Amino acid sequence: MAIAEVPRFVRADGPDKVTGSGRYAADINLTGQLVAKFRYAGVSHARITKLDTSAASAMPGVFAVLTAADVPDVIYSPVVPDRRLFAKDVVRFEGELVAAVAAVDAATAQAAADAIVVEYEDLPIVDDLEAAMADGSPLVHQDWESYAVTGDTVQRPNVASFSSIEKGDVDAAMANADHVVMSRYVADGCHALPIEPRAVVAQWEGEKVTIWTSTQVPFDARAGVCETLQMPASKVRVIVPHLGGGFGGKCGFHFEAHVAALAKAARRPVKLVFSRQEEMVAPDRRREGMIVDITSGVKADGTLVARSGWIAIDNGAYTADAAFFPQLAAMHVAGPYAMEAVKIEASLVYTNHQPSGSVRAPTAPQACWALESHTDELAAMVGMDPVEFRRANIVDEGIEGAAGQVYGEIGLRRCLDAAVEASAYGDDLPDNEAVGVAISWWPSFPGPSGAYIKIDSDGSGMVITGAQECGTGSVMTLRMLAAKELGMEPEDFQLVYQDTSAAPYDTGATGSQTLLNNGRAVVEGAREVAAQLRDLAADRLEAAPDDIVLASGKAHVSGSPDKAVSIVELAGVAAEGEMLIGKGSGTPPEYPSVSAVCVGDQGLAGWAGPQFACHAVHVRLDRETGVVRVLDVSAAHDSGTIINPVAAHGQVEGGIMMGVGQALTEGTQYGDDAKQRNTGLLEYKLQTAADAPTIHTEFIEIPDPNAGPYGAKGLAEAPNVPTAAAIANGVAKLVGMPVRQLPMTAERVWMTSEGMSS
Amino acid sequence: MSFTIATTVDEALVALGAGARPIAGGTDLVVGARHGKAALPADLVAIDRIDELGGVELDSAGVRVGALMSHAEVMTDPVIVGSYTAIADASALVGSPSTRHVGTLGGNVMNGSPAMDTGAPLTVLGATAELRSVTGGRTVSLDELWAGPGRTTANPGELLVALHLPPARDRCGSAYVRLEYRRAMEIAVVGAAAAVTLAADGTVASVAVALAAVAPTILSVDGVNEALVGRTAAAAGPVAGALASEQAAPISDLRASDRYRRHCIGVMAKRAVDAAARRADGESIAVPVNRSIGIGAA
Repeated sequence: MAIAEVPRFVRADGPDKVTGSGRYAADINLTGQLVAKFRYAGVSHARITKLDTSAASAMPGVFAVLTAADVPDVIYSPVVPDRRLFAKDVVRFEGELVAAVAAVDAATAQAAADAIVVEYEDLPIVDDLEAAMADGSPLVHQDWESYAVTGDTVQRPNVASFSSIEKGDVDAAMANADHVVMSRYVADGCHALPIEPRAVVAQWEGEKVTIWTSTQVPFDARAGVCETLQMPASKVRVIVPHLGGGFGGKCGFHFEAHVAALAKAARRPVKLVFSRQEEMVAPDRRREGMIVDITSGVKADGTLVARSGWIAIDNGAYTADAAFFPQLAAMHVAGPYAMEAVKIEASLVYTNHQPSGSVRAPTAPQACWALESHTDELAAMVGMDPVEFRRANIVDEGIEGAAGQVYGEIGLRRCLDAAVEASAYGDDLPDNEAVGVAISWWPSFPGPSGAYIKIDSDGSGMVITGAQECGTGSVMTLRMLAAKELGMEPEDFQLVYQDTSAAPYDTGATGSQTLLNNGRAVVEGAREVAAQLRDLAADRLEAAPDDIVLASGKAHVSGSPDKAVSIVELAGVAAEGEMLIGKGSGTPPEYPSVSAVCVGDQGLAGWAGPQFACHAVHVRLDRETGVVRVLDVSAAHDSGTIINPVAAHGQVEGGIMMGVGQALTEGTQYGDDAKQRNTGLLEYKLQTAADAPTIHTEFIEIPDPNAGPYGAKGLAEAPNVPTAAAIANGVAKLVGMPVRQLPMTAERVWMTSEGMSS
Repeated sequence: MSFTIATTVDEALVALGAGARPIAGGTDLVVGARHGKAALPADLVAIDRIDELGGVELDSAGVRVGALMSHAEVMTDPVIVGSYTAIADASALVGSPSTRHVGTLGGNVMNGSPAMDTGAPLTVLGATAELRSVTGGRTVSLDELWAGPGRTTANPGELLVALHLPPARDRCGSAYVRLEYRRAMEIAVVGAAAAVTLAADGTVASVAVALAAVAPTILSVDGVNEALVGRTAAAAGPVAGALASEQAAPISDLRASDRYRRHCIGVMAKRAVDAAARRADGESIAVPVNRSIGIGAA
């Protein structure tokens, strides 16, 4: 039920992006601007025994060289503060910053960065998740017990955050099961890989700094600058020009403070532009590697009775925003299934790898891949069709989930039915083709958010919002919401956005939350303006304000369309007196309560606006080489009401393509030195347009009363969750057993089919 | 530092003689420099506007293919597609449409990568390379030309002006098949080309097989002709595959292990012989073979 009469993609930024007239952070150039380059650790774990910047500082054209000694000694990160802007004493991953340089041009800056003398004493490398958790393992953080963690976060040596979900008596329930199946699945880490490598430009005027940056979360970036450089928010303005993709990789606070500090020290504007390799090594946002052990007990009739799980998640060297990953991973290993008893433990394990962080649906594609592969193993054990097995065990209205949440009306069963029906599941296929099916879920993330709406004297509207557009089109869709409240067209509204000094707070392009939260704010703000318009029109048309209808650019008296005045005319009147300005924020949806016991609770056992999905994927296998090709994907999604169908289809299609990459070709390869070996697009293989399958998408629209405007839930991350799992189940049918490593590269598929382990 | 735009071969040869390096499409030179593989040479001579270096000409000795033919031209040229199809199969798999429109056959050959796509097809089709310098010209076999990864035996002053192919025989077909993990922007993990001539009774009259990315240079499979002549086309493929796996000397790297490469080169060689034999038998298999058979088919 699209809210526009005719479904269309309402996108204000499209023409500029397509024609090249749009401007990105790297396009900004300021008078007197210097170029920033970083000196990276280059080693994975070592103590700094010597750090000498004198030669670099003395080079002609070098304006500033900064190390940990030159910035406030602040230890930061949300929930688990464990890092500094620059390494102090110890470096813990190859991409850690040791120093930063600002110089007249890139070559000079690079030469100066290279001229910094750093000597190290090697420390033992921690890069194996299980070994890191064992007693006596070398520690990535010697001082872990001194970190000022917040909330109910539970820590252990080399474990930054631990969570568990426990309900019922698992041992007793397992003992009553007819079959118990144990599985291990191991996923490699991978990358968000936005096509735009990030750029940051900083310029000071007096005590105030303006930072143009490619971030998904301008307010978070500002908070990071304020925290690390010890500045009040009133002195920091963060502006995001067009953003060239993010996929989570540009969530959080990254290098804004480094560039601002350089600009201050150099007394000149400074610009940083990352290379592709830097983009793949330095940010604390890549998708986490994971080990998942799942054990499930089933009755002979296919009833799932109990599940235990053990999950180790590669945190990397610092915790970024990953403290909640264990709980999310545990929820995804429980999955949208009903069972009487569950006990799942998940640990976020420190290693000397690049830090992990929220990449599109963090933990979920890997955990879903493990769970749904395991689910097909369960179905095979009891001799049931995998789809029937799911129908018999999924959560539904009134049924309690693994963590004890009882669901309202949800569309999971209809998603399963729709995706399978639209696919070739059950058809007679060639012997090298099969259809794999996986179901999934994902939470919506309620949060505070605000917006202003105004109508200028010429009748043109403006949405002034703190929301950030990362390519999903959700900020663009805000115009549809405002237009509907005001009886105008989306194209009547301009957007002012991505500027922390222009608009109220919003969490940013993270957690699929823009329409959910900022949509609510925009609707509220637009309703204030609508009330103003009705008052004005009521005066002019001699009617009660409640009888005024706003439609087709006019205010008319209900039942008398001819008794009308145009909004343009009313705007002209308002401009001479009380202007048309609205504000909105509103109360976020509530998190539901749950009955499970959760140690290390990060607030994600009960989900508001839970989203559900099913993907049925038709794959073809080259049996001789193990190369898998995805031919066709049938996707069905319950993300509540769909506001902008064209954009929504785009989200599903993009999520699926990202999922195909994770499934088959995208994985970080590490050397024994814990450094990444494939940090370029030649050896880190994204999917291309030529690889795209046919995608059929269906939305199961059930308005959720505890979610966003019109009952909309999030949609940006959910489509990325079940694709790899569905591909895996198709491949397993053809190979005769699951491929237990992700990505399921051609070589791994071949080795599995040949009975070899890698 | 200099940049010369040559419009004739002679102008180019003078610049080369003075120490400049040639640039045509730049898809290896420029990308390599950006990746830090090798700095851009200080002196460059652009050869992309030299008409004499383009085109496909039939003559009594066979076919002359200009070194400047782009992959996009090669993959659609009627003579190449019709009689030397394996080269078209290879050019059609190079990079992306934009790479194929600027990347040239001559550049692919002279870059000397063991993973080059056109190398194995040119080898099985008996191509020779015509090199010219200010002091004269010479024609060498490709086997003589390629010296190792990224190295050729051409002198710095020599320019590859054309590749020569012997006249096409009746009942002859060729094909190039490669292992690829995705369908664009890919580089050969392993690849194999075959040229097959069939006798009147449908058995193999002659065959050549060459392999990409399993040795320091393109590898011709030894003894394949002796082993396959007289066999049916159907029986030839597996034997060629076994010989290819046996003779390959692959490495392990980020793209594949040596074990997997050794296995897959056998599969590719078998498929190349199969496809070449089918083409020799008159079957039309669209270019590139990778998109027409097996998992690659629509």
